Amino acid sequence: MIRRFYVHNFRCLENFELPVSGKSSVLLIGKNGSGKTTVSFALEILQRIARGTNRVDNLVKPKDFSRGRKDVPMRFEIEVELSSQIYEYVIAFEFPEGFKELRVREEKLAVGGKPVYSREAAQVHLAKTSKGKEAEFRVDWHLVALPIVQEQSQTDPLFIFKQWLARMLILRPIPALITGDSEQETLEPNSQVTDFGAWFAGIVGYAPAAYAKIDEYLKQVMPDMKDIKNPVTGKDSRSLVVQFSSGQGSLLVSLKDLSDGEKCFMICALVLAANDAYAPLLCFWDEPDNYLALSEVGHFVISLRKAFESGGQFISTSHNQEAIRRFSDENTLVLYRNNHLEPTIIRPLSELQVGGDLVDALVRGDLEP
Amino acid sequence: MSVNSHQPHIFVLPEDRANSEIANGFLLNGEVSTHRIQVLGEAGGWHKVLTHFKSQHVSQMDRFPKRFMILLIDFDGRGDRMAEAKGFIPDHLSSRVFVLGAWTEPEDLKRANLGSFETIGRALAKDCREDTYTTWSHDLLRHNSGEIERLRQHVRPILFP
Repeated sequence: MIRRFYVHNFRCLENFELPVSGKSSVLLIGKNGSGKTTVSFALEILQRIARGTNRVDNLVKPKDFSRGRKDVPMRFEIEVELSSQIYEYVIAFEFPEGFKELRVREEKLAVGGKPVYSREAAQVHLAKTSKGKEAEFRVDWHLVALPIVQEQSQTDPLFIFKQWLARMLILRPIPALITGDSEQETLEPNSQVTDFGAWFAGIVGYAPAAYAKIDEYLKQVMPDMKDIKNPVTGKDSRSLVVQFSSGQGSLLVSLKDLSDGEKCFMICALVLAANDAYAPLLCFWDEPDNYLALSEVGHFVISLRKAFESGGQFISTSHNQEAIRRFSDENTLVLYRNNHLEPTIIRPLSELQVGGDLVDALVRGDLEP
Repeated sequence: MSVNSHQPHIFVLPEDRANSEIANGFLLNGEVSTHRIQVLGEAGGWHKVLTHFKSQHVSQMDRFPKRFMILLIDFDGRGDRMAEAKGFIPDHLSSRVFVLGAWTEPEDLKRANLGSFETIGRALAKDCREDTYTTWSHDLLRHNSGEIERLRQHVRPILFP
């Protein structure tokens, strides 16, 4: 669970801290352009580092500095609690005069307050561990060290943190691009979930019992669904097919031919199964209510909130009144920006004076910190 | 999934956001069959709950005989509120409509250290699930006992199968 997430000088996020500590589910609301999705982009940078992208230029560009302010470092700090252990990761980028791309200015990973490694520019200091000696080495300052530093085992805090970060689910699905075809397995889907087939295969391969969770949820939302098959369609390739049946007979439908909303049900089923199979997960879902019928939205949101009550953390954004109503003041954060030249401000809804109905206040555009 | 109107289900009509948040907490209880209950939009006042119920929901309850409704209102310390609310419920629907709420207002439940609205909702659901009165017996909630008994008889099997 995230205890602290701090971003500075990245797009509209300046001296920005996301107050989600201790909350199993959180809703971000605010006008278009207020910075909700940018929070997910910031998290995604850390996720991509953990997934192996270490060239700084492939993570952030000079245009990502807030208002082009290149003389101030861009900074990301995350503090998470995993199995009662506190992990703190810091990375700062800078863009010195004459450089063509950003470089690492500072990087640090600490566990329980003790550094695993720290770094300034190219110089990395690896702390002494029970199994290894203290070490100093240099890394190209255009490369992030986290993916490079070798973990010693699967119980190594470095491995545990990196795996948690890599498995974060940052979701902005585009159902029209989801086909259900796959050539491999993954537990690390991309944000558009175009690798849904590989994710499905990955979860079921990793924890076969997860299929029961997927099946249970999908049969609630699509009572005529019988099962999901993932037949081989070529050398190393598979394609998901959903079977529906009723008293009138049965029907096989390729996943790619499901409606956009039904594909979102599928994604929700995998999120629930993933958090069950390898919790704790962080799931950031940007507007999960997109593509859903109004009668479905509340149940969809409650299913996700409920699943993360027992572990992990669910962060959502929404403009949908049904989704907004299924969160409460204590777990709703309001993001606000005066204009494009000013940074995002974030406040808990419970600290704001909302005159009357919240949804009406949002419609009127009256919700300002 | 959305509720199946042809199967037993419950609609909750809350007076305001505070009551809606209590309902959220209730839904978050792990044992509640959330696909059988739908929390509707906030009516904007206890009287509006009743008038909205009468104008919008009575005919739909006639149409869907497996529908139950919970009207979630504040009692504002008024001993006559329950009778007034019941006056809006047609006799033939009285067994399927329930009136619940804080004796004064939900904010007083918070002030009484029962926790956030969601926490209160979770606790009330736990009571319903476990057939206990730990939270329902609080001074600000015990006036609901008659309705709770009816709910346990008719609604509990739907929400906690």
